[in-house]
Amino acid sequence: MLLVQLLASGIQTGLIYALTAAGFALIFGATRVFHVAHGATFALAGYAFLETADAGLAWPLACVASLVVAVGFGLAMDALVYRPILRHEGSFFTVFVAAFGMVVVVQSLLELAFGRSFVAYSSPLTRATAVLPGLYLAPVFWVAILVTILLLVLTGLFLGRTRAGVALRALSENPELLRAYGLSARRLSALAFALGSALAVPGAVLIAATSGLQPSIGPHVMLISLAASIVGGIGSLRGAVAAGLLLGVTESLVVAVLDTQWSEAAGFVLLFGFILFRPSGLLGQPVPR
Amino acid sequence: MIRRRTLLMGSAASAALLLACRRAFAEEAASYIIGTLFPMAGPNAEYGAIFTAGAQMALAHLAEDKMLRKPVELRAEDSQATPQGGATGMTKLANVDHAVYTLIGFTGVSKAAAPIGQRNKVVMVNGGGVGPDLSGLAPLFWNVIPLIDKEIAAIIPWLKAQGAKRVAVLYVDDPLGNAALKQISDALPANGGTLAGSFSIAPTAQQFGPIAAKIRESTPDAVYFASYGAQQAQIIKQLRDNGVSQQLVTYSAATIPSVRDLAEAEGLVFTAQLSDWTLQDPVTQRFVKDWREKYHSDPTTYHQNYYNAVRLFGLLAQGLEKAGKPVDGEALRAELLRVRKFALVGGEGTFDDNCNISIPIQINRMKGGKAERIG
Repeated sequence: MLLVQLLASGIQTGLIYALTAAGFALIFGATRVFHVAHGATFALAGYAFLETADAGLAWPLACVASLVVAVGFGLAMDALVYRPILRHEGSFFTVFVAAFGMVVVVQSLLELAFGRSFVAYSSPLTRATAVLPGLYLAPVFWVAILVTILLLVLTGLFLGRTRAGVALRALSENPELLRAYGLSARRLSALAFALGSALAVPGAVLIAATSGLQPSIGPHVMLISLAASIVGGIGSLRGAVAAGLLLGVTESLVVAVLDTQWSEAAGFVLLFGFILFRPSGLLGQPVPR
Repeated sequence: MIRRRTLLMGSAASAALLLACRRAFAEEAASYIIGTLFPMAGPNAEYGAIFTAGAQMALAHLAEDKMLRKPVELRAEDSQATPQGGATGMTKLANVDHAVYTLIGFTGVSKAAAPIGQRNKVVMVNGGGVGPDLSGLAPLFWNVIPLIDKEIAAIIPWLKAQGAKRVAVLYVDDPLGNAALKQISDALPANGGTLAGSFSIAPTAQQFGPIAAKIRESTPDAVYFASYGAQQAQIIKQLRDNGVSQQLVTYSAATIPSVRDLAEAEGLVFTAQLSDWTLQDPVTQRFVKDWREKYHSDPTTYHQNYYNAVRLFGLLAQGLEKAGKPVDGEALRAELLRVRKFALVGGEGTFDDNCNISIPIQINRMKGGKAERIG
C-alpha cells in the first residue's frame, strides 16, 4: 500500500508541475520567449490566493483574484519587458536574463510585502482521510485531478478548434503570414501570455493549500517548470504535462527506496538523462542552442 | 642659532607626537564593534530578525545605563544560514569591521565561522544553534543557549511518561539533525523506548507528503522532528494533512511565529530553556516590561538569548574597563571564566569551563497560538 500512497502523492505533486509547465510551454511554443518569470507568476498567484482568502474572501473568489494577478503579471511582462527588449533586437539570452531578474525582483517584493516567513491555507479540503487501510487521500487530490483534466481539455480544444488557437500555434512559425491574414501578432502574443499565466493559477493555489508558500517559491517552481518543459520537449504542451507528471511521480516513488533528500535530485537526474540521450524530450523539438 | 638638523628632528618629533595623540584620541573615540552573523534573507531570515531584535534591545539598555566608556555598534553580516555564508561573514567581521565580539546562530554557520573567529581573537556567542558539538568548539566560542542534548535529555523521560515507546525521527541532514538523531537513538533504549524509524530530509525540502506515508507505515507513538526555519511549519502542516495524527515533538527552534500561527501546530510539544517572564529579578523585569511596551507581545527565548549575549558583553567589558584592561577576545574570556555567574534575563546564568551557559529546560505545548508550559 505504501507504493500506492507514494504514487498518489506523486500524482498530486505531478499535477502541479504539469499545469505550471504547460503554461510555460504554451508561452514558449507561441512566442519563443523563454519565460522563466513564469515562476514569479506562480508565486504572485499563490500569494494573491492566500492573502485574499486570509482577508475573508471565499476560496472560489480568492481563486479569481489569483487569476487576475497572474494574468495581469503575464501581460505586463509581455508588454513592458519582453516586447521592448525584442523590439531592440535583444537576444534569447537577454530575454532570459531579464526574466530571471524579474523572478528575483518579485521574490524581494513579496518578502517586503508579506515577510519572509511561511504562510499556509488551512482547509478541510487538504486534510487526508483513510479511503483504504493505509491509503490516505485528501479531497484536494480529486479536485486537482478534475481541474487539471478540465483545463487541459479546454486548452487543447481552444488551441485545436478555434481560429485564435490555431493562429496562436502558428504565431511562432510565421508571424508575417498571420499579419497578411489581418491578425495582430502583438495581440496573439498577449493572448499566449494570458493563457499561459492562467495555467499557473491552479498549481499555485494547490501549493498554497497543501504545502504553504514562501517568497522563494518562485525560483523553485521556475526550475521545475524548466525541467518539465525540457523533459517533455521544449514548446510541447502535451509533453510538458506528461513530463510534469513523470517528475512528480519520480520524486515521490524514489522515497520508497531512498531518503527523501534524494527525491528532488531524482527528478533532475531524469532531466540529465533526457538531455544526454534524448535532447528533444518526450514529445518535442530539440533544445535551442 | 637653531641648526637645520635640530629643526628637522623637532619637526619629526612634533609630527610623531601629533600622530600618536590623534591615534590615541581615535582609539578612545572609537566604538566597540559587535558583529552579527545571522540569516537575513531566505527561508531562515525569520530567525535573523528575531535574533537582531533581542540584541538591539540590550544595546539600548547598555546605552541607557552608560555601562561602558565607549558606545557599542552593531555590524550585520548575512550568514544565509549556510556554512559558506558563516565563513565569509566572519572573515569580514573580523578583518574589515574589526569586531571584538560577534553574535552567531545556527550549528553549521557556527562550525564554519569558529576557526576564523578564533584565529582573529574574536569572541563568538551563540544564542540560536543547538548542535551538541557547539560545546567547546573553540575557546572563544560561547553558548548562551542550552544545546540540544540538554533538550533531548528532558523530552525523552516525558515521552516515556506519556507511554510513547516507539518514536519516529524526521531530521534535516546537517550537523544539527544528525546530532539530534544520534542523541535520540542513544537515549531511547535507556528509557525503554525504540526508534520506530529515522527519515532524513534535505534542508531545502518542501514536499513531505511521501515521507508522511513512510512515517505512518513505521507506526510510531510519537514523531520527533529536528528542523528549523519555515521548513518546520511545512513539516507540521503536511504531516497533519497526510494523516500523521501522532504526537508531534520538537525542540526550541519551534518558537517562531510561522509555527505558532499555524493551525496544524495545535498540540505540538517542544522543549526550550526556562523562560519565566514572571521572575522578579530587575534584569528580567526590565527586559519584559520594555519588550511588551515596544512590541505589544511577549518576548521569545531567542530574544532572551541574544539580549543576554549583548548584556554579557556589557558586563564583561565593564569589568575589564574598571580593571584598566584591554577589551579583546582573550581578556573577555578570562573575565568570563573569572566571574562565571552573571545576572541575566531569566535569572543567574552560570558558565562552565567550555563557556556554555547552564539553564533549566522546560517542556511546552502549543495551545491557541501560544506556548503553554507543561513540564
